[in-house]
Amino acid sequence: MRRFTTILVILLFIFSAAIIVYRVVRLGYPVIPAAPGQTWHLSIDAHVKNNGKGIDISMGIPIDYPWRMLVEEKISSGTLNFNILNEGQNRFGVWSGQEGRVPGEEMIFYHATVLSRPKRFYKAVLPDSKAYLFSGGDIEKAIARRLTDKWDNLPLHERITAIAGTVSGTWGTPSPDRGDMNAWAKVKEKYGNAKALLMLCQSANIPARQSEGLFLRQSVTDKLSKWIEAWDGKRWLNVWVETGDIYQDYTSFLPLVNGGAPAVRLTNGEIRDIRWVLVKYVTDRWSLHAERTTRSKSFLDAWSLFGLPPEFQRTFRILLLVPIGALMISVLRNIVGFPTFGIFMPVLMALSFRNTGLIYGLGIFFGVILLGYIVRSFLDKLRLLLVPRMSVMLTLVIGGFTILALIGNKYGLREFMAVGLLPFVILTMTIERFFVLVEESGTLEAFRTACGSAAVSVLTYVIISWEPLQLTFFVYPELLMAIVGIQILIGRYTGYRISEFIRFRAIKGSR
Amino acid sequence: MILDTIRSMRTSGILGMNNRNTEYIMAFNPRSSFPLVDNKVLTKKLAMEHGIPTPTLYHVVLHHGGISELKTLLKDHREFVAKPARGSGGSGIVLIINHTEETYVTQSGKEIPWEDFSYHISGILSGIYSLEGLEDDAIIESLIHPAPVFADVTYQGVPDIRIIVYRGVPVMSMVRLPTKASDGKANLHRGAIGAGINFKDGITLTAVHHSNLITHHPDTGNPVNGIKIPYWEKMLLIAAKAADMTDLGYIGADLVIDSERGPVLLELNARPGLAIQLANGSGLLKRLKTVEAAPQNVFETPETRVAWAIENFGI
Repeated sequence: MRRFTTILVILLFIFSAAIIVYRVVRLGYPVIPAAPGQTWHLSIDAHVKNNGKGIDISMGIPIDYPWRMLVEEKISSGTLNFNILNEGQNRFGVWSGQEGRVPGEEMIFYHATVLSRPKRFYKAVLPDSKAYLFSGGDIEKAIARRLTDKWDNLPLHERITAIAGTVSGTWGTPSPDRGDMNAWAKVKEKYGNAKALLMLCQSANIPARQSEGLFLRQSVTDKLSKWIEAWDGKRWLNVWVETGDIYQDYTSFLPLVNGGAPAVRLTNGEIRDIRWVLVKYVTDRWSLHAERTTRSKSFLDAWSLFGLPPEFQRTFRILLLVPIGALMISVLRNIVGFPTFGIFMPVLMALSFRNTGLIYGLGIFFGVILLGYIVRSFLDKLRLLLVPRMSVMLTLVIGGFTILALIGNKYGLREFMAVGLLPFVILTMTIERFFVLVEESGTLEAFRTACGSAAVSVLTYVIISWEPLQLTFFVYPELLMAIVGIQILIGRYTGYRISEFIRFRAIKGSR
Repeated sequence: MILDTIRSMRTSGILGMNNRNTEYIMAFNPRSSFPLVDNKVLTKKLAMEHGIPTPTLYHVVLHHGGISELKTLLKDHREFVAKPARGSGGSGIVLIINHTEETYVTQSGKEIPWEDFSYHISGILSGIYSLEGLEDDAIIESLIHPAPVFADVTYQGVPDIRIIVYRGVPVMSMVRLPTKASDGKANLHRGAIGAGINFKDGITLTAVHHSNLITHHPDTGNPVNGIKIPYWEKMLLIAAKAADMTDLGYIGADLVIDSERGPVLLELNARPGLAIQLANGSGLLKRLKTVEAAPQNVFETPETRVAWAIENFGI
């Protein structure tokens, strides 16, 4: 039996953990849902002129990666059609209009929210090198060969540094001939830095490709930046073509197109003006995530609690924490040895404290019990049967709530009006239990139990009101299985309760 | 510090609440047998079948309509006890020492009118005192005249003897003495005194009152230890037989000593409390383990079990 329990608990833990790991690794869920996330809002606006010949504009747009997640995309296409085209390593937004359209001007825009997650595992893939071959003329090739021959013995990383240095003219060591350096300056002028760098990389047997995109910093620009990505054997190094500076950090850029494809392509029409805007935002990760799950096709995403209408989401955010409250009670009763009225009464009290607030809630709790006790003592003399007597008490409790609400309304105390949601049935039963306990075990014991219940309610209230925990359980409801596991473990706890150390202290040491 | 405390509790063999619930009550007391002990009418009938003495049953009130006929039924019995069949902790019990049709005199000398008395019976039937708050039956049975042995250390009420029986072997016992604070009830958490009993000779040992060790009764001032309990072996035998008839492996048997009839079984409890350890100044777990290690022939008859218990648990 014990072994079976252990296996069951381990299975529950494993199952719960497995789903969480799957969500985090495969579906890109935030590990700590309440943590703030850094997002970039990218917008591309363009003014285009349709000349009636079948306009077609394609623009490079970001790709979804675990370390750079696309949280949300919005598109405006005016009267044009829009679709997304995946082309090798690239993704293009394509706006098109049929031939024979009335010529006119259109505003198109693309908007994306990109979540930057620099700590995510970054998996660099070396693409097929043939795709990125670049060939200049034979003369240029010869010069490039002479330059790179000098660096052939260097490790890949330093070879790339030396090549990048050609942009600014800080030639690496060993330094090439002066004549070659001058000749190369001419090549750079003729072909541009980007192509020159690519030629050198090819000549040095370094896989390289051109990327175009934006520096990840708040900016408004009408021109994209270009850089060369060179493969150092493990990952891509980014060489900014303007200065030859190397950026190892892949989070410094937001590439829009790779491999030399044009970032903006246009057929039949005119782009009046285009600009790329990057703005930085800090938001809760889960809210970003919520939007993302609604678009995902994954089973777990489709069945995520984020799919519920918002008003029900609130309920479930709290409901999912109730088992933790019950767990608390198990711990307090079975391990600590706290006296409480019933099992669920403190949980229900804690739930109602959410409406009334802690101070008012506790005040009402003790107030109702005191009033109830007085009335119950009086009712005892009337000799009523059990069920009618309980009904009278219930009516009393509800009557008390009504009066409180009316007083609250008069003096503008919202907390008093929220009282209606207090678990009146539980309070009624608590009064009865309190009365019986006073009769059987004395006022002190009854008062102690009432205080114990109140203390557990407050603890539970604090737990279920803790937003990060609410979010965590809402995003990962499978955690409930782990909670069941812990509850089973407590259920099998046969050791002493802390209160028993005090209770049996007199026996300690004797025989 | 805490670890030391845990260790010393372990070595004293103290049984904790969690351990009692999971390893003893859940493991040895089948749920289906609970009604036999929770309902005192059933316990009584079973005891009679097995020749175990209990207070004589006069009448059982099953429904509210049956209350009015009590007036005539009670004519034959000058004194009696009314109690709930499924009550717990001694609540709802009234001892009537004399009565006319309209007035009932309780043991404390209070006169209560028929209306109050019938309201009390009606309360019992409605389940006010029952374990789960369900409808209950009211038992009318003979009044016990406690033997004078505990007279010096009893404040009103009837002292009773609780014997814990594990797998049919009596393992620990105490006598529960009512005090002024306990309102004549032999219930420890109401303030009754619990005095441990030496298994060897049935002489009271240490005593506990509100979890404090005491030597004298707080109301009468007489010493509570060193009292020799009559019929000691016979009571152990009754407890051992009672355990057999219920099919429960871990029970508390409550007995009283009537001055005329000797020991009678009052009720059985499938969830006996742990305070008995305080009364004996000794842990239950150690004795339960001793029983588990006992040779098979010990368990043959109630007599062999009692003999073994006296030998092993005496001091």
